[in-house]
Amino acid sequence: MRLLTKASLRYLTHHRLQLLLSVLGVALGVAVVLSIDLAIQSAQTGFRISAETVSGRTTHVLVSDLGSVDERLLNTVRIDLDITASAPVVEGFATSSVLPGRALRILGIDPFSEGPFRPYVAGGSTGLDVSELMTTRTGVVLPASLAEEGGVSVGDSLPMVVEGEAWSVPLVAIIEPADELARAGLADVALMDVAGAQEVLRMVGRLSRIDLRISDDEAGSAELEAIAGALPDGVGIESVGTRSETMSGMIGAFDVNLTALSLLALIFGMFLIYNAVTFSVVQRREILGRLRALGVTRDEIVRLILTEALWIGIVGALLGTLVGIFLARGLVGMVTRTINDLYFSVSVQGIDLRPFLFAKACVLGVGATLLAALPPALEAAGANPRMAALRSVVEGRARVLVPRAALVGSILCAVGIGVLSIPTRNLVVSFTGLFFIITGLALITPAGTLVLVAAVRPLLGRVWGTLGLMAARGVGASLSRTAPAIAALVVAVSVTVGLGVMIQSFRGTLVQWLDGTLRADVYVSLPGPTASRAAGTMWPEVIEDFVGHPEVSGYSTYRGMDLVRDGEAFRLVALELDPRGEGAFDFLEGSSSDIMARFRAGEGVIASEPYVFRRGLERGDSVTLSTASGDRALRIIGVFYDYGSEQGTVMMSRSLYDRLFDDPGVTSLGLFLEEGADSERVVGDLLALVPPGRAVIARTNDTLRSASLEVFDRTFQVTAVLRLLAFVVAFVGVLSALAALQLERARELGLLRASGMTPGQLARLVVTQTGLIGLAAGVLAVPMGIALSIVMIFVVNKRSFGWTLNMEVGPEVLLQAVGLALVGAILAGVYPAWKMSRTSPALALRGE
Amino acid sequence: MNDRGPSIELIDVHKSYEEGERTHEVLTGTSVSIRAGERVAILGPSGSGKSTLLNLISGIDLPDSGTIRVGGTDLGALTERDRTLFRRDHIGFVFQFFNLLPTLTVLENLLLPLELTGSTNGRADDRARELLAAVELEARAGAFPDRLSGGEQQRIAIARALVHEPDLLLADEPTGNLDQDTGTRVVEALEALVAAQGTTMIVVTHSRELAGRMDRILELDHGRLREG
Repeated sequence: MRLLTKASLRYLTHHRLQLLLSVLGVALGVAVVLSIDLAIQSAQTGFRISAETVSGRTTHVLVSDLGSVDERLLNTVRIDLDITASAPVVEGFATSSVLPGRALRILGIDPFSEGPFRPYVAGGSTGLDVSELMTTRTGVVLPASLAEEGGVSVGDSLPMVVEGEAWSVPLVAIIEPADELARAGLADVALMDVAGAQEVLRMVGRLSRIDLRISDDEAGSAELEAIAGALPDGVGIESVGTRSETMSGMIGAFDVNLTALSLLALIFGMFLIYNAVTFSVVQRREILGRLRALGVTRDEIVRLILTEALWIGIVGALLGTLVGIFLARGLVGMVTRTINDLYFSVSVQGIDLRPFLFAKACVLGVGATLLAALPPALEAAGANPRMAALRSVVEGRARVLVPRAALVGSILCAVGIGVLSIPTRNLVVSFTGLFFIITGLALITPAGTLVLVAAVRPLLGRVWGTLGLMAARGVGASLSRTAPAIAALVVAVSVTVGLGVMIQSFRGTLVQWLDGTLRADVYVSLPGPTASRAAGTMWPEVIEDFVGHPEVSGYSTYRGMDLVRDGEAFRLVALELDPRGEGAFDFLEGSSSDIMARFRAGEGVIASEPYVFRRGLERGDSVTLSTASGDRALRIIGVFYDYGSEQGTVMMSRSLYDRLFDDPGVTSLGLFLEEGADSERVVGDLLALVPPGRAVIARTNDTLRSASLEVFDRTFQVTAVLRLLAFVVAFVGVLSALAALQLERARELGLLRASGMTPGQLARLVVTQTGLIGLAAGVLAVPMGIALSIVMIFVVNKRSFGWTLNMEVGPEVLLQAVGLALVGAILAGVYPAWKMSRTSPALALRGE
Repeated sequence: MNDRGPSIELIDVHKSYEEGERTHEVLTGTSVSIRAGERVAILGPSGSGKSTLLNLISGIDLPDSGTIRVGGTDLGALTERDRTLFRRDHIGFVFQFFNLLPTLTVLENLLLPLELTGSTNGRADDRARELLAAVELEARAGAFPDRLSGGEQQRIAIARALVHEPDLLLADEPTGNLDQDTGTRVVEALEALVAAQGTTMIVVTHSRELAGRMDRILELDHGRLREG
């Protein structure tokens, strides 16, 4: 081994704590990035496998914008167009009391048509006896894993609730596909005959879609052309890939935002590395100077430092991957739940340990380490061998650099603002702008700290005399070492403030919105597979009973459908509003009463802010919808604030809906009660009116409000975890940097002890100094955090989701930030103070 | 390097430093010529520029103006990297504060200059041990520097400075941090090794006694060198 390498290794092993913290920094950064990637990937894979298994070898599907197609279309395709590779499919969701917390995906198929499509149905390795499925009314086939989980076997009845209707369906077979992929894909599927599925999903005469297998040649193109020509209005032909992409594209912004947050943790990790490497360079400045004097070239010094960083990076990255897998196991549940709450049903069977993600995280980790180590490495190499030994020269240069760094920081902030001003929805551009601002702010912090410390110096002098003055001056006197630590702490705390204010603002806006939107006293819907999206249609007789309750004075009806048009998903809603519910909408522009009058008259539709934002539309533009009588362009008469759906919502009056669509269904009800009525009691009365075998969810205004906020809090659980992890990374960095700084002052502190300073006085000096740094960082972090939150709320969030949020800055977030910085910094001083108080001044004064 | 010709030439060398808002002129047109194999002491009060002069001769620093030739090589014409390589191959350094590398053992400290110049075979080890024997510290080969006394550390530093047989040895206050007896032993070790290798030596010192043992004394006064 080369002697330089040996010297460097020995240095690292002699400074084990510093080494450990550096490795920890990389490991935590890599772990957070990897775990988020794994969680998102696993959710995407779960969705893809499920979609692919359910689609089988289907190449194209016939679907309607309206959600279902007439089953007679199958005859047209098979008989008139002679396309035999076609299969009817009915899909929906159910829940089962024996499978709590699971959404069962009902897949209704015609076993005789399945040959070219789903091999697990068409016999073969699964050993499925299709005759049982066809001859048993509402018979169901479960995969072995589900049957085992539910404790049911062939011949048993499986209790199910489908759109509020209780069913007891006979389990006719259990399948266990031979290949693992199919097993994973079928993990949440309940297979039924198409007729049975139509019955339980109340889709008699309708199909969710018709699957086709079209060859990828000229004959296939001709077939596609023929099919397209024969399709009724509102029905389209889509390739399976496009459909799948549309669904997974729905979580695109969610994915980017989580990834950006995870990268933030890596950036904090980089600060930690930067701190550690800078410190190791500063600590070895004399040694490096000796090496330079002996004839070691600058390149060799850079290589030496970078090689150390490389090893730290490699070990940290490897450790990070292990921690990442562990973290991912927790995060995947949160991510999946959020996707289920907000986007679509997905069942994740396990962590998708894709090698690419490991490679990416490791490359990022090692790359970030090298990048963070580069400035100190260059600094080490650039140091003149003569000057290297002179501490005063180093500190002098650091002081000169402070205003320059502040200038560069201001320029970077300006560049960041410039980048953010680029009119684009590209999130990478937005996060790049944010990164510039964060880096710029980090560079400004040393100057800010000096100003703050200078401001409190007289006060410290008055309170603690010379000791106080020494503590204050010490911050500025060792700027070459304190500046990176302060910058890291300020950035970490300001990002925490930024995220905290953003979440607080989001929640505040949501609460305000819910207060305005939830006007009815009781809300009724059918139990569905997900928390936030009502599905199915209610029974007319139940609606009649409910609105006829003596204490119900009025009602609004809501019909909602999740649709896809031009590859973009959205929700279409038909509203019949009680006059008391009309004030629920808050419009971006225009008179609310005028818009609602036109809405009632069916003059057009109202669209949610995210809907118009995503499509670049505005009030006055048109929305084209597939209706029973073909495509219809409808004018947007108002754009309303809406935080219920990221994909966007289009609403029309029930009367207009009835004119355009042949669908009498109602998804949910809002009931207005007589003055003074007890909502809870009415809810009890209503539930008692529901006939046996049927179920509805009836909730009071307050309960629904709490449930909505619960979904919100769940959604932000991942963000909160990431915020915490990012802070832990930064906290560890600051703790190590400040503790190391004080430990490195052993000689100076030994001198003070030798001069008669008591251990107590010494402890006060050290802790005051680190506390001062923490206080400065906390105070600086507040305005910076608010600036970051402005960017996150008004740029990143707006571009990601299209929501306008009201900014809310609560004192608790700010106090928490200052408190955390202060506590972190004070803790950083405790160990060195304790250690110095136990060390003999003679030992501390002894040189090398 | 040239044999027995003028080993070092300084022609009208100027050097100054910025100190806050004022400029401190350290060397103000110094010229001197030192022959190969000559042992020269440079005397002068603190802050007179003695160490600066050594840094300039070693190529660690560059003059503001003037020419410095070492063994016929104009240091000003070399790149920073070439100056480093030149220093590595041709110059040995002894500092006041020993400046051994704390994370290398005594033997490894001696091997480092050899490794840097590319001699990493068994002969390097023999050579390093030979020098350790010459400074009577062979028994401490495996020890780390913090286990040695000041005098021992300085003798190791001398051995390290000469292990790669440099043409020029620069010593900056080699006894400045040692008591008189230890200092004398160190100087004797230095003289013995330099004499054995025929190395040109420049010693910066405050000590008249040490200076008196050299072939020639130069005094640095107001930025210029004059014969002492």
